Amino acid sequence: MGKDTLTGLKVSHAMRKQVIVLEPGDTIDCCIQYLIKYKINALLIGNDGETPLGVVSKSDIMGAWYAGLPLSTPIEMIMNSPPLFCGSDDTLDSALDTMKTNNIYRLYALEKNSNSVVGALAYPDIVGLLYHYCSQCDQGIFNKTKEISNDRIKRYKVHEIMTKKVESCKEDASLESVVEILSGSRFGAILVSDDQNYPKGVISKTDITLCFRHGQDLSVPAGTIMSTPVASCFEKDPVESAIKTMILKDLHRLFVIPKENKSVSGVLSLTDAARLRSGSCHACITSRIRVDKS
Amino acid sequence: MKTIAKDVMKTNFKTLSPDSPISEALDIFKRSKKDGKTIFGIMVTDQDGAIAGMISMYDILLFLLPKHVKIWGNISDIEIEGIIDRTADKLKNFLVGDIMTPKVISVTPDTHLMMILDIMIKKHVRRLPVVSSGKPVGMVYISDLFNHLLERV
Repeated sequence: MGKDTLTGLKVSHAMRKQVIVLEPGDTIDCCIQYLIKYKINALLIGNDGETPLGVVSKSDIMGAWYAGLPLSTPIEMIMNSPPLFCGSDDTLDSALDTMKTNNIYRLYALEKNSNSVVGALAYPDIVGLLYHYCSQCDQGIFNKTKEISNDRIKRYKVHEIMTKKVESCKEDASLESVVEILSGSRFGAILVSDDQNYPKGVISKTDITLCFRHGQDLSVPAGTIMSTPVASCFEKDPVESAIKTMILKDLHRLFVIPKENKSVSGVLSLTDAARLRSGSCHACITSRIRVDKS
Repeated sequence: MKTIAKDVMKTNFKTLSPDSPISEALDIFKRSKKDGKTIFGIMVTDQDGAIAGMISMYDILLFLLPKHVKIWGNISDIEIEGIIDRTADKLKNFLVGDIMTPKVISVTPDTHLMMILDIMIKKHVRRLPVVSSGKPVGMVYISDLFNHLLERV
């Protein structure tokens, strides 16, 4: 297997140490509150001090709403069991392979030779680590003293790694149909566009769980609950610059447009960026050694 | 000497509904500072008056905190005003019930002060709601406990 920026790095370098655990009897309402409070997409279910029993994600909550379950439903009714684990000492490459093979977005890290959960690893955490190196690297586009036009390093552009398929709906589509589309795809958000396919807003799974909590009806039109404006970037932007925008603005994705006043051609998420296993270039494979020592 | 919660609890406290906008909580925090009695946490009660949670300055600051904060130390060109403006804009869509702490540790009016001290130290909390028949009747602050218990020292 080829070398990439993450080669040799361990799960413990990127994982979040704060792991939120709820009890099986806690309600969906309580679960949504914690997901919002800690800005996470899933949380662990377990009894105090015992091996975790399962995971509940925003997708599970969206499914519960669609199925007509009330907010008072215990989360053990909708959790996915068992959770998938990795070791905090495992390599990030092997953790990414596990996530890809199992089609999952996060792993919980166990302490070496123990059953204690010491962290959670999701795609954005890996991107955060990659960006950490890019931001310190002399070859990074934000630190480069020489003109970027004289730059001989091959830098990834957004269009090279973006997902070209974009799920979209019109403003008058019902929230119910939005939930159906999102449940049937791997996307975390849907683009709301007008008749000319011009982006008007976005509805994410976070927006949907919030609507559920606020007692909204599934029949409301998408246009009434969408978030605006649509965060976007250009196809030719360097990946590093798009990642910086997402990290600084707390966004999980940017919709991609070829150039100004054009319709959306793709979407770049932190998941896409993590799967690249690199920042904008591979310069940091060598420079990282220096970064780690500093 | 005063020995139980009801001896030291403050009975003058504000409450919010889970459906209140977060701006209402911010107003109470700001007003309390102006009045010279800064409060750091407000009890949230449901339509029956029962305690549903607590919203603190910490909860609001947690919302303000960017997700990938651990790498922010490396970025020097950040405009903090922009972050706060964006958060303020996002906050408009959220209610007190969305970001409050729903699992609140509470005591009863008869709880012994040493028991309260033990909870505050073990759970790292600075205030405890005093609840009678599910409804809040007061709040014990660590500062009141400190002043009362150390009066004799």
